[in-house]
Amino acid sequence: MTRAAYHYSFDHEHLLSIEGLSPLDITHILDLADSYAEATRAGIRPDPVLKGKVVVNLFFENSTRTMSSFEIAARRLGADVISMPVAASSVKKGETLIDTAMTLNAMKPDALIVRHSASGGPKLLSRKVDCAVINAGDGTHQHPTQGLLDTLTIRRTKGRIEGLKVVICGDIAHSRVARSTTQTLHLMGAEVHLCAPRTLLPSGTETWGAASATTDFDKALKDADIVMMLRLQLERMDGAFLPSRREYFSFFGLTKDRLALAKPDATVMHPGPMNRGIEIESAIADGEQSVITEQVEMGVAVREAVLHLLAGGRA
Amino acid sequence: MSLSIYNARLLDPASGLDKTGAIFVDRGKVKDIAIGQTTAHADAKATIDAGGLCLAPGLVDLRVKTGEPGVEQRETLATASRSAVAGGITSFVVMPDTKPVIDDMALVRFITDRAKTSAAARIYPAGALTTGLKGEAMAEIGLMANSGAVVFTNGDLPVANASILKRAMAYAASLGAIIMSRPDERTLAGSGVMNAGELAGRMGLPGMPVEAEWIGAMRDTALAEATGCTLILDQVSTPRTVAFAKAARERGAKVFTTAAAHSFFFNERDVGDYLTYCKVNPPFRDEETRLGLIDALKRGEIDAVVSAHDPQPPEEKRLPFGEAAFGAAGLETVLPAMLSLVHDGPLTLLEALAPVTCRPADMLGLPQGRLTPNAPADMILFDPGKPWLCEREHLRSRSTNSPFDGRRLQGRVLRTFVAGEEVFAHESVA
Repeated sequence: MTRAAYHYSFDHEHLLSIEGLSPLDITHILDLADSYAEATRAGIRPDPVLKGKVVVNLFFENSTRTMSSFEIAARRLGADVISMPVAASSVKKGETLIDTAMTLNAMKPDALIVRHSASGGPKLLSRKVDCAVINAGDGTHQHPTQGLLDTLTIRRTKGRIEGLKVVICGDIAHSRVARSTTQTLHLMGAEVHLCAPRTLLPSGTETWGAASATTDFDKALKDADIVMMLRLQLERMDGAFLPSRREYFSFFGLTKDRLALAKPDATVMHPGPMNRGIEIESAIADGEQSVITEQVEMGVAVREAVLHLLAGGRA
Repeated sequence: MSLSIYNARLLDPASGLDKTGAIFVDRGKVKDIAIGQTTAHADAKATIDAGGLCLAPGLVDLRVKTGEPGVEQRETLATASRSAVAGGITSFVVMPDTKPVIDDMALVRFITDRAKTSAAARIYPAGALTTGLKGEAMAEIGLMANSGAVVFTNGDLPVANASILKRAMAYAASLGAIIMSRPDERTLAGSGVMNAGELAGRMGLPGMPVEAEWIGAMRDTALAEATGCTLILDQVSTPRTVAFAKAARERGAKVFTTAAAHSFFFNERDVGDYLTYCKVNPPFRDEETRLGLIDALKRGEIDAVVSAHDPQPPEEKRLPFGEAAFGAAGLETVLPAMLSLVHDGPLTLLEALAPVTCRPADMLGLPQGRLTPNAPADMILFDPGKPWLCEREHLRSRSTNSPFDGRRLQGRVLRTFVAGEEVFAHESVA
């Protein structure tokens, strides 16, 4: 069925989590993002659907990559963008998240893109403002545009999502990417297997949509179509969670030999930033099977689609 | 002044009384109970026709936090007591974690004196178990006991050093003092903000595992057995913790348990969309644990139910879940929370009232919490079926962060009496 053949309306006010989206919503976002990606590749300037709109990047946590990605997406669609690294501003003087939200709300923005170190931070803010709130990562909870961009990258690489075996390996416990991507891929029909050391593998991952959770990376890799490595939060490595980086790489690092256990045409992904030589061998990160740079490219396309749908009127 | 309340459904969990009758009060004490009588006592100067409503002992609450002294913007003894009597609580114990900490006899006297002059309910101070609640040195338990402290506790900060706790227990045992301790192994639970499990994992929030409570309970119980100390395991939240206490008691130990009223009403899913009013410590557990806790209550294995009243000003709750303060205002919702267990079936009215009246009073050796001749005339007249909508703006506490906000509840206190004097009348009867 083509997009024109059915009546559909994207009825979400905010994008705070993958939970609450239907497969139809996700397909709609991905289709729109796909068209934006193709337009960019063809050098075509998209319609300025956000012309006259104000988009505020509100980052309570530093993230140059994600903030830039949203900023480029918003500018491509003609929005006026204000990027506020709030971590360095009045919040330090005791102003609360809600105070900041109320102040910004009074300036009548059309969308707030929020990153916050606390899970649920953007949700709290969404209750206090009148505009669309897009979660750009909250604590260890969700990073919905990352889940969508990963899914779009896979769909473009493999031509489908349904029936694919995806292995996500790394610091699952502290990863908002793992939660968002697992949920998105599950909703779209993929079989997602999570792999991590026991100390970084939370219980209850089946409710995220994971088909299995294991500590045996070699076993998990068998017949995998997609291998997604996650950033290991190095600050947590010494002491409580893992014995050493060396030991981690030995059991959970993606090497050439290990990748050979997956399907010959398996695709390698990583949300970045990478710890080369700890999570993944450089040769694989830069190799033919890697789509890591395409993930970054699709990030902009997905954010264009999301901003279009939430701040620019319905597509 | 004498008072007769007649035509009432008299409920006394201490004696198992549940019959229509009349009560006669004189000089602050219960003088006579007349079963079957539906007319006023002949000598009474004042009379109230209860119209068949329930008359029960006022509630006795072993765990209330105020902010006085030091954090009065959160709650004062006066505001807490107004909220308490509106909820049917006529006696309560205030926790020592104020600023400064109640860890010497002058501060204990400050609380008792201030309560006498400003509060509508009877207030009993708990003394700090260690100076400044730092867990490093034993506080002056004996002097504080002589000044009116009824129990000794480190509040929300369990004494991490087992050796110090053991010494404090041994010392308290020699004085006959009671220690109340939160079973909580902080090295396991420390960074958690809600119940550990699948939901916490999905919400991206660090969890507080039940094992932290079990290990804390096992340690504290073992030390109480070793020292002969009377121990109250404060706010248990799992049936297994109750079982530890029961097993110790069967071996002869003096170990009691309390649980917060909201623990029977809510489960972890009520945290919902990061609702900080539902952020409490111990956290709301999963549904199976909640039901197990109700079973333990039904079997009489939980000795007392507390309000765990811990009011927090808005600036402490209007934050992302992980950063918000723990605690809920609870003085006005204890009775409806307990009555929900009656309306839903598991408990009889007397079973619901016992852990909030005579049993906590007995633990502290207080004469109230019962409707018997010569007991203090601390009483409530309530309608167990009266429906109401809990709206935080109508709660009388100074801070109104209640997980019950917006909930429909059943059961309302209409009149509250302390020493025979009416200290609260619901607007419908006032």
